[in-house]
Amino acid sequence: MAVDITLLFRASVKTVKTRNKALGVAVGGGVDGSRDELFRRSPRPKGDFSSRAREVISHIGKLRDFLLEHRKDYINAYSHTMSEYGRMTDTERDQIDQDAQIFMRTCSEAIQQLRTEAHKEIHSQQVKEHRTAVLDFIEDYLKRVCKLYSEQRAIRVKRVVDKKRLSKLEPEPNTKTRESTSSEKVSQSPSKDSEENPATEEHPEKILAETQPELGTWGDGKGEDELSPEEIQMFEQENQRLIGEMNSLFDEVRQIEGRVVEISRLQEIFTEKVLQQEAEIDSIHQLVVGATENIKEGNEDIREVPHL
Amino acid sequence: MASAAAATAAAASIRERQTVALKRMLNFNVPHIKNSTGEPVWKVLIYDRFGQDIISPLLSVKELRDMGITLHLLLHSDRDPIPDVPAVYFVMPTEENIDRMCQDLRNQLYESYYLNFISAISRSKLEDIANAALAASAVTQVAKVFDQYLNFITLEDDMFVLCNQNKELVSYRAINRPDITDTEMETVMDTIVDSLFCFFVTLGAVPIIRCSRGTAAEMVAVKLDKKLRENLRDARNSLFTGDTLGAGQFSFQRPLLVLVDRNIDLATPLHHTWTYQALVHDVLDFHLNRVNLEESSGVENSPAGARPKRKSKKSYDLTPVDKFWQKHKGSPFPEVAESVQQELESYRAQEDEVKRLKSIMGLEGEDEGAISMLSDNTAKLTSAVSSLPELLEKKRLIDLHTNVATAVLEHIKARKLDVYFEYEEKIMSKTTLDKSLLDIISDPDAGTPEDKMRLFLIYYISTQQAPSEADLEQYKKALTDAGCNLNPLQYIKQWKAFTKMASAPASYGSTTTKPMGLLSRVMNTGSQFVMEGVKNLVLKQQNLPVTRILDNLMEMKSNPETDDYRYFDPKMLRGNDSSVPRNKNPFQEAIVFVVGGGNYIEYQNLVDYIKGKQGKHILYGCSELFNATQFIKQLSQLGQK
Repeated sequence: MAVDITLLFRASVKTVKTRNKALGVAVGGGVDGSRDELFRRSPRPKGDFSSRAREVISHIGKLRDFLLEHRKDYINAYSHTMSEYGRMTDTERDQIDQDAQIFMRTCSEAIQQLRTEAHKEIHSQQVKEHRTAVLDFIEDYLKRVCKLYSEQRAIRVKRVVDKKRLSKLEPEPNTKTRESTSSEKVSQSPSKDSEENPATEEHPEKILAETQPELGTWGDGKGEDELSPEEIQMFEQENQRLIGEMNSLFDEVRQIEGRVVEISRLQEIFTEKVLQQEAEIDSIHQLVVGATENIKEGNEDIREVPHL
Repeated sequence: MASAAAATAAAASIRERQTVALKRMLNFNVPHIKNSTGEPVWKVLIYDRFGQDIISPLLSVKELRDMGITLHLLLHSDRDPIPDVPAVYFVMPTEENIDRMCQDLRNQLYESYYLNFISAISRSKLEDIANAALAASAVTQVAKVFDQYLNFITLEDDMFVLCNQNKELVSYRAINRPDITDTEMETVMDTIVDSLFCFFVTLGAVPIIRCSRGTAAEMVAVKLDKKLRENLRDARNSLFTGDTLGAGQFSFQRPLLVLVDRNIDLATPLHHTWTYQALVHDVLDFHLNRVNLEESSGVENSPAGARPKRKSKKSYDLTPVDKFWQKHKGSPFPEVAESVQQELESYRAQEDEVKRLKSIMGLEGEDEGAISMLSDNTAKLTSAVSSLPELLEKKRLIDLHTNVATAVLEHIKARKLDVYFEYEEKIMSKTTLDKSLLDIISDPDAGTPEDKMRLFLIYYISTQQAPSEADLEQYKKALTDAGCNLNPLQYIKQWKAFTKMASAPASYGSTTTKPMGLLSRVMNTGSQFVMEGVKNLVLKQQNLPVTRILDNLMEMKSNPETDDYRYFDPKMLRGNDSSVPRNKNPFQEAIVFVVGGGNYIEYQNLVDYIKGKQGKHILYGCSELFNATQFIKQLSQLGQK
């Protein structure tokens, strides 16, 4: 267990001070020690680099706070029926996305700038190493915060895709079909994210509510008083057929969706790897160029030898 | 149930404790919590060689980076000023270190200073620093000063060593040389006690101490008892108060510390061994969990005039993350060879699986029917890709162990170490020997002169009666013919005469090894580990003297060997050194510490011993860690009067 002897140290400082005073030894500072310290320290190079690095960090911190603050609202989607308080329109979300992206771009540019500048003035190897490491840390921090952003964005995009898909199954010329399909949708939606549940359940209902009056007028517009039994049967068969078709379509779409998600994940992994390899390939390229030159020189030297 | 949990928590490995302490120190002395979206903080780590030895088995460079350390530098190197950066120092409070630190303060190298001393700093040295800080007007820059009490090196979860840098100071030779003065002895003892004290502070427990009489171990015990006692009495500054121990840490029983002196058993450090870790330590260059191999580039048919190929040096870290190592470091060598083979095969199978997926994906564009396979395969592909890093890591470990094991195997074959091992086991367990000792010594093929010397010394140590003069002369002649240096023998003779007075060297147990025939099935599977001619020896569990002593003391068995061991309990109000232990129950936890040096063979023996006992834990420590080569060197220096 470590023991904190900072207080002991401060006590020693006092002891030494009094002892020195008693002995009449001049201490750098003396009574005005604290003031002199401040005075002494200001001409020290304030560290342009580190203050700018800290600026970048605070920017990234602001971005992070901003994202976290609005995250709940952002994710809590499709809250048409929810209170005004927690609601966020799509335009607002787009705005957040745009802002975040601009922010991230500026931050990474700032980091790049710092990188190029960092090595210019300083000659000490240690300071260079230190600065490179600091910049690595900052980049890592930026990456982590960007991950926050991309996660919530991915959720949002998924929602939009779902919503579009649902809205494609909007009013068909048959109440029954629509009702049964939308009820099927409702029954199948519990298998999706739980967050989406209230949304999807409400959505088809909304569609129903919206289009009921529409159908009423349209139905009236047809102008037929009744449907003959054969036609009813035909319609029913068609219904069944359409239901079957919709189901299989739906299944396939879900499968494809799953695969697309995985492919996108794979893409992410591959992009990362490719980017990593880029740096290595660059360095290999450099080495190879250097090696070719060395070999050329070596060959020339060898050619000179017989002439001696 | 609660006591079992508490016991396991208390035995929460010493390695973990030390690592946690180091991490806290690196986090500006505040407990470290992982926060994924935390802001980065950066710092510079300055250490001396002691600090380096302590940190390197525990934290890798990557882990240091994760803690925010941008640079790690030696104290006594040229360091440039780096503005606006806090510096964490981790050094021993010696004169030169303090001077250098004061110099740093004067040169204003860093923004703020967090000073951590490996063992406690004295008041006067603290004032020296205060003086320098005042002179440099840097007092406010010294942010924190801590005594870390981490003056020991942890190598395994349950094994620690006192020091690496100044091991000559506390070596076997230093303690046992005839011309040692009292003050020198005091210094050595103080160093050992200081480290042991730090160890117990980090462990958070006050042990019950038992030691043999009349040895260096006794001196250590007396001093350690005194130091612990003083610290406990000082209620204000005691390091063992309840809140420093942490919750769930307190086992109902205190651990037992057994202090033994190297002199009770000189044969084990010389013994040839057969388990993986001990072999690596014996045969290759292995310390602080790092093994250095020199790889020869095979048969070199270099054309005349070409530059000779250079041997490449490789070094590997054998860490707790290395699952293969953790599993097999105590296994007999043939088993290790087989396991490497198996791992290689399973790796190849996984690799093939990934390749197969690749070819299946190639079908995708062509065949309609392949689409139905596709959904399955996308998932498989994702899992394959995400498991790639794991596979690569596995490959790296397999390569590592293949190289290490091959190097060990080469030594074994060249020096016929299996023959030595078998023979020594027989000597040590007093079974009949089928080959005469003289034959082996005179055999030019078997082993280096050092191996022969080791074998002879073990024989000499283990026989009940010394060989006759004539025999001895014969042996000596054979040994000198083989190229051995006879100095160690001088020393062993003296030692034997000395210990005869005390008690007969304890027997090494009664079981034997059974050679299982010449070839293992490793050879049949066509592996790289062609172990032909190498015996597949099976290790039988037999207790080395140290293990036996521990067994007696831990289980409270009565045994003439250990009955008159001294008993110390620092928590008891009145220091009495009666030999009668107050505690009659067997101990759950024990720490065995060998004063004068130890090795992996003893460690492995203890680990095997405790495996059979549920709920009991042992920690093994020694003042220095040496292999047989180093030990022989020390013996030879001692014999060289």
